[in-house]
Amino acid sequence: MNELAQLVDDLGRRSFDARLGHRGLPDTLDEALWRNLEDTGLARLTSSQDAGPGEAAIVLSGLARHAAAVPIAETDLLAAWLAAKAGLPEPDAGPLTVAIADATETGGRISGTAREVPWPSTTIVLAARTADALHVALIEAAAKIEGHNLAGEPRGSVTFDVAVGDTRTVDVGVADQLTRRGAWARCNQIVGVLDAACGLTVAHTTGRVQFGRQLSKFQAVQHSLAAMAGEIERARAATALAVAAATDYGFDHPATDYAVTAAKVAVGRAVPPVTTIAHQLHGAIGVTIEHRLWLATMRARSWVDDFGTTTQYARRLGRMALAADDPWDVVVSYPAPR
Amino acid sequence: MSIREFLTADRAEFGWRPAVDCWLAKWDPDFSARLADAGFVGLTIPTEFGGRGLGYLHRYVVTEELLSHGAPVAAHWIADRQVAPALLSYGTEEQRNRLLPRIAAAQLYSAIGMSEHGAGSDLAAAQTRATRADGGWVLNGSKVWTSGAHVAHQIVVLARTSPLDTRHRHAGFSQFIVQTSAPGVTISPIVLMNGERHFNEVIFSDVFIPDDDVLGQIGDGWHQVTAELGFERSGPERILSTATLIFSVIRALGDVDDGIATDVGDLVARMISLRQLSISVARTLADGGDAVNRAALVKDLGTRFEQDSVELVADLLDYVEDAEPLRALLATARVHSPLFTLRGGTNEVLRGVVAKGIGVR
Repeated sequence: MNELAQLVDDLGRRSFDARLGHRGLPDTLDEALWRNLEDTGLARLTSSQDAGPGEAAIVLSGLARHAAAVPIAETDLLAAWLAAKAGLPEPDAGPLTVAIADATETGGRISGTAREVPWPSTTIVLAARTADALHVALIEAAAKIEGHNLAGEPRGSVTFDVAVGDTRTVDVGVADQLTRRGAWARCNQIVGVLDAACGLTVAHTTGRVQFGRQLSKFQAVQHSLAAMAGEIERARAATALAVAAATDYGFDHPATDYAVTAAKVAVGRAVPPVTTIAHQLHGAIGVTIEHRLWLATMRARSWVDDFGTTTQYARRLGRMALAADDPWDVVVSYPAPR
Repeated sequence: MSIREFLTADRAEFGWRPAVDCWLAKWDPDFSARLADAGFVGLTIPTEFGGRGLGYLHRYVVTEELLSHGAPVAAHWIADRQVAPALLSYGTEEQRNRLLPRIAAAQLYSAIGMSEHGAGSDLAAAQTRATRADGGWVLNGSKVWTSGAHVAHQIVVLARTSPLDTRHRHAGFSQFIVQTSAPGVTISPIVLMNGERHFNEVIFSDVFIPDDDVLGQIGDGWHQVTAELGFERSGPERILSTATLIFSVIRALGDVDDGIATDVGDLVARMISLRQLSISVARTLADGGDAVNRAALVKDLGTRFEQDSVELVADLLDYVEDAEPLRALLATARVHSPLFTLRGGTNEVLRGVVAKGIGVR
């Protein structure tokens, strides 16, 4: 483990241990962890520390592994980036989030409702998409309906109505990149929580004795563990391709678009078998709120639908393969721009 | 000339058809010779032995192009893929000089004799034995599932050279290079359920093997056959056996709805992610690292994908206007499909390897 991964792991572990026994629905922002992330520069690693996607991936998966309750992807990769892109005065401290929505423009005002906004009570950078542009604004006063996802992470609806003059206009392509960054971040985070689920499952089956033997000594259990490990390694390999593409080409490039699309499908298809096996091998204790497994499995099951569903990405990839002269080209690389 | 250019031109001139499971099923010595002439065989064999002296990743790329285009590679496949690396690791200088140039020229075809009637997944139960004789060894026993033995020049045989020690079952094995033309070698077909012949039963009765044809060290056979398994388990042939069928059907699909496009995308995403996993293992192995666990994972996941892909593609065929030309490929794939998760170690055995890597076995 390199220095950064070690630091992230230490911070995550400390946060997890401190909150053990206090996790519920909804979960609350881990203020102590957030302060640590700001003190160490990890909170805005790519947006103000000049770090690349490789480092961001380590932070995202490492914190997810410990079910950290902080909007790390939203703050750094999405909100701070988008604000800077739009030339908005960017809040340089505190957690941020993005509210992404299709909007209408009438009478000089942009209005609409963004749904499933993560961590909606933090400072919101609005990304409102109209037919020909993306409007970006910092919004403070907005009508919010707050709830949470399956893992207890705050999610909400944000209804907005802002004057066009109070927004900055950027190219619609920025909206695509924003979604791509979000999908990319979730892939890395999901690999982190799947690792956590696997670790918990190995520990549980090694520790629990039934029929006079450790569960892990049963061949059927071993084969399930192997199947689980396989799905995770496949998801990790596809995500590694997306990280490499973002590192080599940046997020605004067809190679990264292609790699994120493939990774989102691979990761998305790994989530059901991995979480199912994790719960199966834990037995009934794994479905309780007092056990920590749900912090991993329900994050995976919630995040999988963020920034586009697995099916949507599979359809995109399918269209790429169907349009190619040779589908093999789409297996080995991104389609050449036409 | 790139491998793609070679394949396109060669296919146009000689008219071979992209095949399913081409690395087992399509034996074409003329193709192999042309491929070697073009410089695509023996890529990792050093130039002093007639090869190209290139790295493993170079070979990886050429191999996946051959498989994804369903080229008839079976004749030189085992010699190039398994025998050459074994000679480079364990062979004598005389053996390397004698055999490697012929492998690099695709003029030497080899089979591998491992499994026996009583030794399938449990290879250490093999009973074929070699006993010391004047100037060599005398081999007795039988091997089964020996692909291509009936058309190969030689078989690399794993045999006991010391009696079984139940506490050290893997000790006492050695490897021998046996000429298929040697007196006492009897090769008979084991016919596949569609009538194809690739497999054989090979019986050895008092076959004399000169000392020059001992491969590696006497008693070190188990280590020799397992040491390089990572390459074999994680290679592109564990993902791409049905690639030509998959691509032919995707190409034949016309204007399809979103549901079909999603199915296609799922297939392609599985291929992409498996390929990335396979490449990451290849990189580790090329750097001399240990990837036993992940190599076993590639084979388990890759071969299950190959198997699943057959029926997924069969479903897609429903949406192809003129499906008839593709039915023959599908039929072959359906017959070969059970083999994918059996050959080179069953997936059940592989999952045991993975479980060991996880630390629960």
